[in-house]
Amino acid sequence: MAMAFKMATAGMWVADECKNSFMEMKWKKVHRYIVFKIDEKSKLVTVDKVGGAGEGYSDLTASLPDDDCRYAVFDFDFVTVDNCRKSKIFFIAWAPSASKIRAKMLYATSKDGLRRVLDGIHYEVQATDPSEMGFDIIQDRAK
Amino acid sequence: MEKTHSKRNTQSPARRHSPKSRSKTLRETMYGGDEVSAIVVDLGSHTCKAGYAGEDAPKAVFPSVVGSIDQMEVDENDNSEKNSEPKTKGKRKLYVGSSAMGYRRDHMEVLPSIKDGIVTDWDIVESIWDHAFRECLLVDPKEHPMLLAEPSSNTQQQREKAAELMFEKYQAPALFLAKNAVLTSFASGRATSLVVDSGGGSTIVAPVHDGYVLQKAVSASPIGGELLTDCLMKSLESKGVKIRPRYSFKRKEVRPGEFQTVDLDFPNTTESYRLYCQRVIASDIKECVCRAPDTPYDDTSYSNIPMTAYELPDGQTIEIGSDRFKTPDVLFNPSLIKTIPGMEGSLDIAASARGLPQMVIESINKCDVDIRRELFSSILLAGGTASMQQLKERLEKDLLEESPQAARVKVLASGNSTERRFSVWIGGSILASLGSFQQMWFSKSEYEEHGSSYIQRKCP
Repeated sequence: MAMAFKMATAGMWVADECKNSFMEMKWKKVHRYIVFKIDEKSKLVTVDKVGGAGEGYSDLTASLPDDDCRYAVFDFDFVTVDNCRKSKIFFIAWAPSASKIRAKMLYATSKDGLRRVLDGIHYEVQATDPSEMGFDIIQDRAK
Repeated sequence: MEKTHSKRNTQSPARRHSPKSRSKTLRETMYGGDEVSAIVVDLGSHTCKAGYAGEDAPKAVFPSVVGSIDQMEVDENDNSEKNSEPKTKGKRKLYVGSSAMGYRRDHMEVLPSIKDGIVTDWDIVESIWDHAFRECLLVDPKEHPMLLAEPSSNTQQQREKAAELMFEKYQAPALFLAKNAVLTSFASGRATSLVVDSGGGSTIVAPVHDGYVLQKAVSASPIGGELLTDCLMKSLESKGVKIRPRYSFKRKEVRPGEFQTVDLDFPNTTESYRLYCQRVIASDIKECVCRAPDTPYDDTSYSNIPMTAYELPDGQTIEIGSDRFKTPDVLFNPSLIKTIPGMEGSLDIAASARGLPQMVIESINKCDVDIRRELFSSILLAGGTASMQQLKERLEKDLLEESPQAARVKVLASGNSTERRFSVWIGGSILASLGSFQQMWFSKSEYEEHGSSYIQRKCP
């Protein structure tokens, strides 16, 4: 078993609220995005912030700290060239350069645990600075 | 089992690590990740890095080559006064560590512990581990879990041998082997990345996907810092510069501020030791003056480059011009080796090795189409040679020109040169200190039950 997978699934717990919020976002469309964080002491992934349906991508980027890591999911609604309404869910691993190596290591090795619980992610993005998760990149990937 | 380390007195080098950790019982060592720190060792082809898990830099950094004297030739009165105790192995004595290696001895040969990522001599590796544990870190290996960094394509046989030694000889309570590239990738917060690790003896490009090294796509070349050092040294020699090893002269102050250099003659110095000493100096010159050129090097455009002065240990000042740029460019264009007088021994490397950008592209192209885009945008630089000035910028520029249009090329490197140089060790240090990692250890009892081949299961 891969190291990261085992660490993430057996060494870290994902709080139920993570899955519940995600399901609400996916099925009921009540959230635009969710930000998750890890509490190292209790070895638990929890919900840090939930963005309302009316919020946009810039609200999500503004909720990510400059000097600490987070995970986030974003529900991207768009209209295709042939006028089709679509929705794609992005998973974002945010590890800014200014965060501590400990945080980077913790988030990188714990990702699988959360990812496994969140069923229905279309795309995954890793970002260490805002340019790597610009809105253009999101649009580009969803094409 | 309650053992304290206060008895282990000695001339302990700055031991700022609090004594709390090293006086716990074995049981706590195993399961209380925060209680007793694990020991992290990254034995590279050029340097060995060792220290306590949880710290942000290795406590001990010393050469991974050792001095060796055949026992029959040992001169009884020239040892023992130096701080490092020589170790007797069979019929030879090994000298390990920076200070022991810095002291010239008659008939002392310099031997490598690792070549091309493969251990050449386990006795030497043991002597290096001994030195790290007992003389640098002052720990009893029985009391600390050990995390060893290993090359991405380490063989099964070597991994089992390492496990056997750690459990049988050192009686370590637990062990973990972690791949260099994975440690670098995690330390930068990425489970997926392309790690370009340019160290002393080689440059390895390894794709990591979800914390796994994609072995089939790993690309390696023997061009590392040591080869660049040799290129610079030979090139300078061809221009009449003589690099005198420190042991071969004495500087006397004849008048205040005025020195006279007197040659010393030691006919029993081995060729390998002389070369080792010259390389130490040449490597310092390289680190001080070299920088990767912005565009491929050619003699004409660099012929009028301003000279940079460097003062050699013997007091002579040399001027270095185009070599400042030509040397690092060997990484990008190995065929340059052919133009350096005295490098004839490395012509096969010049002919077969590929440049760094080609290695990167080749490696990415061997990966699944779905992840190529992500790899292009997460290229991580690691290792001592990758800390070369302007190397990141140059690699990014070359890749932009040679990669597919749709790729968003991004080369990432820590701005902090310690972090870049020691990214593998630092990754191991933080990993071993995480609470969620503590379940991962390959314990001594598991070793006793399943044998050394179990390492393949525990540390895939």
